[in-house]
Parts: sequence; structure tokens; C-alpha cells
Amino acid sequence: MRCGDFRETYAEDMALFETAFARRMMFLFLAALLALPWFATGFWLDIALRILIAVIAAVGLNILTGFTGQISLGNAAFLAVGAYTTAILAGRYHVPFPIAIPAAGVVTALVGMVFGVPSLRLKGLYLAVATLAAHFVIEFGISHWESMTGGVNGISIPSPRAGPLVVANDKQLYYLALPVTASLLLFARNLFRTKVGKAFVAIRDQDISSEVMGVNVFRYKLLAFAVSSFYVGVAGSLLAYQARIISPENFPITVAIDQLGMIIIGGLGSILGSVFGAVFITLLPELLRLVTTALADSFPALTTLFASVKMGVFGLAIVLFLIFEPDGMAARWHTIKNYWKLYPFSY
Amino acid sequence: MHLMRSAMRLVMAMAVLATGQAVAQEVKVGGIFDLTGITSDVGKPYAQGVRDYVALTNSKGGVNGKKIKLIDVDYGYKIPEAVSAYKRMKEEQVVLINGWGTGDTLALKNFINEDKIPYFSGSFAGDLTDPAKTPYNFFVAPSYSDQIRAWLSWVKEDWKDKTRAPKVALFYGDNAYGKAPMAAGRAFAKENGIEISDEEILPPGFQDANSQLLNMKQKGADYAYINVTTTGVSLVLKGAKALGLTTKWGSNPYGFSEQLPLVAKETAEGVTGVMPHVPYGTAVPGMKALEDFHKANHPTDNHDAMYVRGWASATVWVEALKRADKAGKLNGEGVKAALETLKDFDLGGLTSPVTWTSTDHRPSTTTAVFMVKDGKLVKVKDYTFPRKAEWLGL
Amino acid sequence: MEFFLQLVISGLVIGSIYALVGLGFVIIYKSSSILNFAQGEFLMLGAYVCVAIVGTHKVPFLAAFAITLAFSALLGVLMERLLLRPMIGEPVISVIMLTLGLSSVLKAVVQGFWGTDTRPFPEIFPTTPVMVGPLPVSQGYLYSVASVVVLLALFSVFFKYSRAGIAMRATAFSQQVALSMGISVKQIFALAWSIAAVVSAVGGVLLGGIRGGVDGAFALFGLKVIPVVILGGLDSVLGAIVGGLVMGVLENLSGGYLDPLMGGGVKEVAPFIALVAILSIKPYGLFGKVKIERV
Repeated sequence: MRCGDFRETYAEDMALFETAFARRMMFLFLAALLALPWFATGFWLDIALRILIAVIAAVGLNILTGFTGQISLGNAAFLAVGAYTTAILAGRYHVPFPIAIPAAGVVTALVGMVFGVPSLRLKGLYLAVATLAAHFVIEFGISHWESMTGGVNGISIPSPRAGPLVVANDKQLYYLALPVTASLLLFARNLFRTKVGKAFVAIRDQDISSEVMGVNVFRYKLLAFAVSSFYVGVAGSLLAYQARIISPENFPITVAIDQLGMIIIGGLGSILGSVFGAVFITLLPELLRLVTTALADSFPALTTLFASVKMGVFGLAIVLFLIFEPDGMAARWHTIKNYWKLYPFSY
Repeated sequence: MHLMRSAMRLVMAMAVLATGQAVAQEVKVGGIFDLTGITSDVGKPYAQGVRDYVALTNSKGGVNGKKIKLIDVDYGYKIPEAVSAYKRMKEEQVVLINGWGTGDTLALKNFINEDKIPYFSGSFAGDLTDPAKTPYNFFVAPSYSDQIRAWLSWVKEDWKDKTRAPKVALFYGDNAYGKAPMAAGRAFAKENGIEISDEEILPPGFQDANSQLLNMKQKGADYAYINVTTTGVSLVLKGAKALGLTTKWGSNPYGFSEQLPLVAKETAEGVTGVMPHVPYGTAVPGMKALEDFHKANHPTDNHDAMYVRGWASATVWVEALKRADKAGKLNGEGVKAALETLKDFDLGGLTSPVTWTSTDHRPSTTTAVFMVKDGKLVKVKDYTFPRKAEWLGL
Repeated sequence: MEFFLQLVISGLVIGSIYALVGLGFVIIYKSSSILNFAQGEFLMLGAYVCVAIVGTHKVPFLAAFAITLAFSALLGVLMERLLLRPMIGEPVISVIMLTLGLSSVLKAVVQGFWGTDTRPFPEIFPTTPVMVGPLPVSQGYLYSVASVVVLLALFSVFFKYSRAGIAMRATAFSQQVALSMGISVKQIFALAWSIAAVVSAVGGVLLGGIRGGVDGAFALFGLKVIPVVILGGLDSVLGAIVGGLVMGVLENLSGGYLDPLMGGGVKEVAPFIALVAILSIKPYGLFGKVKIERV
């Protein structure tokens, strides 16, 4: 066990894992994740998949909002773009999934860049409002381009295919989603060790100053939109494959709010935080559901109340986190870790 | 020690027996209802009807001695919620599901066919009646298409001016339910010399229909059919009154019940509506069971035709569960087969008798048109259509 | 032409409700630079509280209305004290999220207490419509237009002559300067929130009276009004009112002329398309103050 910061070289300072112990723990955790489908029931596997998808989307949003400081309320719409791209490619043109998933990311990245252009002039609240408008415009487009998207009735997605390989069920899809999530997480983690990532952070901290320092603000803002939307697009693609039928109802504005909730609760500007937040926000309603179903026999009214309880608990969680732990779960995690690092000799 | 061990063995054996028996004595049925969504105004009484009939069945010995366990969820009229609820129910191995809306039922139809789980919907969309496409979908009422045909037939009879064709406007929600019968309605109007002068779309959760009504006023309409639920119908009626329109309004069965005069007040006067199920309290033989249950369990509640509708739906599938159980095939395929043996199955007048065959899932083709007179629902006429082959699945 | 006029008139009356909700937005933004995404919930809560008081306690409508306003004022103060004060100095995103979280909680409370059914509203306006030019307009809308005019006058006077109003303007200009002049910024914030809640409750009650019922869809006005305040400028009272009327008309015109062509839904999305256009041409709105940023 280490009991303090002992970094002697820059390489050590930049290392992904602080210690060999941390690396080993990570491998153990990955092994546990790989083994999960062999133990989990269909219900939990379904949730695990949704968590993986939420993690990708939350990391994407955090890159834009947490790291670059550009507030986006358009994430639900970007998720929809990714999902519909996949649905159209796979459903209508029988494109195999190794192409369809990245294609969904690329298309979403392009759309994200278009809606990122206003960020040159708009900041803070105004940008948030512009992305809100983007949400409604995209939603309108999807529900009215019936020949392509199936309109309000939705569109079906076949099981992911690549030649003879068919991803037939949730279990197999999990093994597709897990490496995708892991590699995207690794990429995000590495991104902020590069020049590009540092430019993002500089823009968040003070955009005018960073421009003075020689960062091309517009270019990097657009890049942030592109990278972020790529992530969200990939998440949307996996979501489409999992849901097997999607309609505009899959992507209401509350999805965008949920995702903002994830990064707020998890921790703005923290990859680990995005993961925590995604897990927390996805699990919260499911755990509530388990409790209400268990109690439903004795209190039948709970079935009706469930929707409002879910909404209320979500709102309350966000409010309480903002007031009592504004830096999110990631900060709390570090506090706990540091406490044990020095245990029992912490001062 | 020896005693203890055998005692434990006994307890374990009993536990195994008890749980084993409990499983054997139970039939799991899923319920996907809308209790809080945009159609909850009619979804709640419907769910109540289904639950009450299940409770009644269980109190009378269940399905040949097996208790029905209704696993119900509120999906808020959201397709994704319905899909995830369905996945959970599939895992619980339900033998049948009583669902609700058109959009979600259509979204689930492929899953249902794959998993062979009979699915009753609150939706009466004509698309669900062709077993070649949707072999596991059922509902207990004439289809939405037959309902709009019935209403258009009433329009034709009510229209006295023989110098020109009556102009009819269609108002419908921007969802699968709203649009379901429109193709059938347009075709039927064309065949019968009725002019569809205008179509207006009502967005989900709309708060006023002013621009739609003004549009209709410009295009002119003697009659108009509204295909949204009660709350929406009442908004349109009130808006029309405020604009001083003289159009005669008609409504689909989910916008028309005892509730309408209560919500829309005097603007509901003279409005016609399609009623495949009778209003609560109508003097028909089947009503007695509902009234008895009502008196015994919740005498202070108010009920309406939506409640009757849920009750009727459950009545039919409970019968099928019983038949399937007798045949020793209490599973999805067995229940489907049992449903397809129903011939003129009498619901005591709650709705017209139900007949299903393996090639035709239209339960019946008879529907009534009612009118609001002095705040009460009064029957105008019954309409019956032939089972035309080309209307199957439309 | 008659069709056009009718659309414009009915757009103006709907717009007057938007203007009322927009006013609430602006008052909060003006003093504390917070965009309150829970404004629609204030409107909904006001209407529900009024219905509950009239319905269960058999209180005459005007008394219930007064109680509702008092309740809203208190609610506004409580919100500011409990939730918003800890947010001072936090990034914009946190404050946005807080109001979004708050809106979930308020919606859940209303749904939990009163369910999702439309609750009938006491008849406060006669149902017979009044002719305005060629168009019959329900009387409730006239009351709402009238109350907008009254509130506009009231607020103009308030901000110009009253001590509290001047203090609010000073706070909006610079919190530090206001503090050094002996103004209690905390009290100003509380005042702003309670005024906003009261104005929204007035909107909610008017809307309930016009619709004859209240349901969860009232909360949607919170989102609908965002284009209104962006058009008018986030910190302009006059802007909120002009913006409200313009958006009401725009909505109705696009509903009347474009909906039939596009198959519906244009009415809902048109304000947001307009919003994008406004943001790219005049980001601070028609009457908003242009902020100059310094490092």
C-alpha cells in the first residue's frame, strides 16, 4: 500500500494507472464483467447492457460538457440520430454491424458539428437553449420523414449481423458492447493526456484566455462536438440493436436530462464519474421498481404511483447531489480512497 | 441429533412441496396498462376492469382451481417502456398478456409471434386482425375500422340534403392509434359518396386545437370524427364551441363514454360516438356480475364503458385459459388454439358475441352508435358489416 | 384574409399566457442570472393548488385565488432559500440542472397528490364567447390579455419607482456594487423568486379557467416559453411580453398554414426553429442587454 504521492518522472505523472495494484484491480474488474452474463438473469443482463450504453453516452456528454464546458441539452436527439442511422443502414440496406456502428457514430458526429456551429457565438445558457432547439428540430425531422424513419410508428432493427456471424441475443450483444465501451473509455481517458484534450479543458476554464494562448477555439469546440457526438452516436447504435424497435418516443427530452444528471451526479470532467453516474441513474429506477413490485401486493396503489416516485427520486437525487456533493460521486470516491490509503494513520 | 436431522428434512420437503404446489397452482398473466400516460384518462378504468375480473375469477376458484397471478405494470403510453415491460414478463413466463395501446401493440407484434404469447390489446386496430400477419394478437370489440365505418354509415343516414355529399373532417392524434382507422375510413367514405373535406392532426398532449379548428372551418365540414381519448375530445368540442362552429361531432370509442358529458359539459350535447361496449349499468344480463362485484368491493367508485371494456377483455381470455387448461395445454400455443375455438361466445350483452378462427381474428363486426342527449348516452342504432375478405387486416 | 386575422387574434390571446410565464422567467433572470426550467411547474402547481382549495374546502374562488398567490409567494421564497442559495458561485450547468431536478420533483409531487387525470376547474369566466372583430374569443383570454397589460404597467412602475424594484435593478447590474450600497442581495433573490412564482400562478389559474381543467401538460409551458424569452431578451420585461405575443402568433400561423402541408407538428416546432434563427442573428434578443465579456 502506498501512503502518499511519490511521482518522480513525468511519465509516472501521466500514467493511466497510478500503481500496479490499481492495474491489477482493473483487470480483475474486467474479468468479472466478462463473466457476468454467465450469472445474470435476463433481467439483469438487460440492465447491464443499458448501463454500458448509458456509460458511452455519458462519457460522450462529459467530453463536451464536463471537459469542454459546452452545455448540451441535445443529447437525446443525437442518440436518436445514431439509433436511426443504424436502423436505416441495418434494416433497409442490410449493412453489417462492424460498419453500421461506426457509421452511426460518424453521422452523429457530423450532425453534432452542424449544431455545434452556434457555439462559436453562444455560451452557457444560450448554447444550452440552442441545443434544446436542436432537440426539437431533430425530433420533428425524425417523426416526419416517414419514408425513411417509419414516423411515429417506429422502425424495426434486425439482429446485428456480419456475414455468417449473428448476434442473436442479449448475451451475445453484451460481448459486443463490452469491448466497444471499454475501448471508448480508454480512448477518452487517453484523449485528455493529449494536446487536443488539454485544449478542450483550456476552453472550458476560460475561452477568451485560451484563444489568447493560441488555441483555435472554434476548431476545438467543433472537434469537441464531433467527438462527443460520435460517442453518443455509437451509444445510439447499440441502443437500437438492443431495443430492436425504436420510435421517437425512445428519445424524449427527459433522456437528455437523465444524461446530464449522470454527469452531474457522477462528476463533471471525470471519465470515472461518467461511469458512476451512468450506473447510478440507470440502476436507480430499476431498484425502485423492484421495491415497488415487491410491495405492490400489499399496496396496489404503488403501481400507479411508480411513475411519479421514479421522477421525484431522480429529481431529488440531482438536487441533493448538487447541494451536498457538487463534485459528484467521483470526488467522493477519491475521498474514500484517500482515507483508506492512509488508514489508520490519516490525520 | 438424528431427530433434528429428520425434522429438518421434513421441513425442507414441505417447503419444496409448498413452493412446488404454489407454482403449479398459478397461472401468470401479464398486464401492460397506461395509468399515468396521455391515455390514462381511459386507461385507468380499463385496467381496473381487467383487475376486477381477475379478482372475481380468483375468488370463484380461478382457472379450474389455479389462481391467476396478474403481473401488471404502468407503461405510461411509451413504446420503449412497453417493450421493456414485455421483456420482463417473458422472463416471468406469462402465458398471456393483456396490453393496451396501438403503437406499442404493433411494436411488440414480432416479439409476440416469436415467443408465441397471445396478446390482448386495448387497441382495436384493424391491422391486428389478420392471423397470417399477427397470429397471436387478439382484442374484444369490432375493429377501429368497422367502428369508423359504422359512424360514417350514421352520417350518411343523418345527412338530409340530397343536393350535395356531406363533408366530413377527420381529427386524429399523431400516433398509431390516431391514424389506425383512417385508411379504412377514407376508402369507406369514397365508396359511399361522403366527401372527406379535411384532415387535422392533434399532437400528443395538445392544449388547444384552435388552428386546426380554424383550418377545418375554412375548408368546411358538416361532420367531424375525433380519434383521440376523452380529454382530447372535450378540448376539441370546447374549442369548436368557442369558435361558434356548427359541425356535428363524432368520436371514437376511447373518446366517448359516460365521462364525456362530465368533462365536456354542455358542449358534449348532440355528439355521437361509437360504442362497441355498453355503458356501465345498461340493463343487459352480463351487467349483473359487474354490479355485484362493484357493490361488494368498491361501492363508492364510479364506472364507465371503459371499465366494461377491460372486464369484457378479461372475460374472454379467462374463458380461453380454462379451455386450454382442460385440454392440458396451458401455454401460449394452447391458449391461442383455445381462443380460436370460440364461436359466438356470449358476453351477456356487454359487447357483441366473439368469434375467432385460425384465419380470421375479427372478433365481431357489430357496433353501436350512441348520442349524448341531456347529458346521457342514448343508443341510436347498431351497425353490422359483412366479414369481407378484403377488409381483413385493414 | 379572415382566416389570417382569426389565426393572428387567437395567437395573440395564447401569446398573452406565454407572456405571463415569460415574465416570471425574466424577473428571475434579471436579478440572479438563473434560467428557471421549473417555471412551467410553478404554473401547474398554482393551478392545482387553486383547484384543491376550491374543490375540497369549498372556499369561494376569489379567496382561493388569494391563498394560491400567497402559497406561491412562500414557495418562491422557500425555493430560493433552500435550493438556490447553495448554488451561488456554481457553474451555469449546475444551476440549470438544479432547476431541471426541481422541475422533476415538483411534477412528481403534483402527480403523486393529484394523479394524472384532468381535474375540472371552477368556472370563473362565462363560457359565451365575445366577438373581437370577426372572431369569437372566449372571455378567459380577454382576462388574460388584460392581466398582462396590468402586470406590464405594474412592473414598469415597480422597477422604475419602488425601492425594491430599484434595488433589483441594481442587483442585476452588479451584485457586488449592490452589496456595497447596503442592498441585501439575498432578500432581492428571494423577492424575485416569489414574484416569479406568483406571476406563474396567475398564469396557471387563468389557463385553468380558460381550459376548464388542469393537468400535467401545463408544465410544458415552461419549455414553450423559452423561445419567447430568447426572442424578447432574457432580461427585458417588455421583451417577454412582446416575445410572448409574437410567438403565440407565429405558432398559430405556422399551425394554420404549414401544418396541413407537413402533416402536423409544425406548430410545436416552429418556435424552436425561430429560436435558432434569433440566436444566430441577435443572440441577446430584441430588447436584451448585450453583455461584454472581460477576461
